[in-house]
Amino acid sequence: MELDAVLSGDGGRVAVPQAAELIEFGEAVLSGDAKRQALAREAVYRALGPAALVDAAAIVASFNAVVKIADGTGIPLEDDKAAATRELRDALGLERFNKNASAD
Amino acid sequence: MPNVTSFDARTLPIRAGLDRALNHAWSRLAAPGTWWSAAERLAIAAEVRNAQVCELCRKRKEALSPYTVQGSHDDLGALPDTVVEIVHRIATDAGRLKRGWVNEMLAAEVSEEQYVEAVGVIALTTALDSFDLALGLDLRPLPAPLPGEPQRHRPTGARHDLAWVSTVAPQDLTPDDRDPYAAHGAKNIHRALSLVPQEVFNFFDLDVELYLKDHEIREFGTEHRALTHPQIELLAGRVSALNGCYY
Repeated sequence: MELDAVLSGDGGRVAVPQAAELIEFGEAVLSGDAKRQALAREAVYRALGPAALVDAAAIVASFNAVVKIADGTGIPLEDDKAAATRELRDALGLERFNKNASAD
Repeated sequence: MPNVTSFDARTLPIRAGLDRALNHAWSRLAAPGTWWSAAERLAIAAEVRNAQVCELCRKRKEALSPYTVQGSHDDLGALPDTVVEIVHRIATDAGRLKRGWVNEMLAAEVSEEQYVEAVGVIALTTALDSFDLALGLDLRPLPAPLPGEPQRHRPTGARHDLAWVSTVAPQDLTPDDRDPYAAHGAKNIHRALSLVPQEVFNFFDLDVELYLKDHEIREFGTEHRALTHPQIELLAGRVSALNGCYY
């Protein structure tokens, strides 16, 4: 998987089936644009079916919410996870999201 | 809004476990909390929704730094100003929160325990509403508050050594504490709300049905959903990136 596509939203560069539809779905839900959301829902429904649409909605719900917990409490990345992903995080520039990286 | 879908969202098949978890989460939202009454919890949920149309929140979201934009929130009048600030900021711009802001909130009229429970309520409301929104369903009317009083139990083993708020390490739980780690795992995301253990249950009892159970996440040989593991993680990663979440 081209992981930087997760950051850029370029679903065409990801070798995951229906990546473009899924990325657009997530972006549409967070955009607040009702028409865009409806079009994205239809695209997922047609490409993946009704059960997958429900699961896609569930994933968006989960991760739109769990980030509130992580960011609201300032929990750090686990040490083993940080060690295992150091190169990946550097390559993707993820440290810019690290709220514990600077004193405040 | 013109209907551009070929299906009726109300007839979509929702897995039995997910349906149960959603209904249970709604009842937990309406139940008395550990530190907030049921009515206060629902007022927090109402402000989560209201934050989406708050002009101050909109200006802050658009600003290079939200901390440079001052003003008053468009609120519903049921909660103190500090609580409204907490709810609106976490609901609309959590990715740019700072430790100093949390400390400022805790120095005002909100206790650490109330803050953590509020985070739990905000997250639960966000999950429930985001699910309905994503499917094109109308947001459900908030339920009526259930009777009862807050328990007001703070785990004696709570320590301020991991996060911006106190948490309870698994080894520091006592028999008086509910143990959320046995049910859901002991990663830092589970520990985040552990100052108010019921909030860990409230959120993750739902989340294991929205996402996956902890042990299922790495069971790459078995698909537990209508989406594959790569599809799930792609979508999860994109939503997290859009929210600016490091963890």
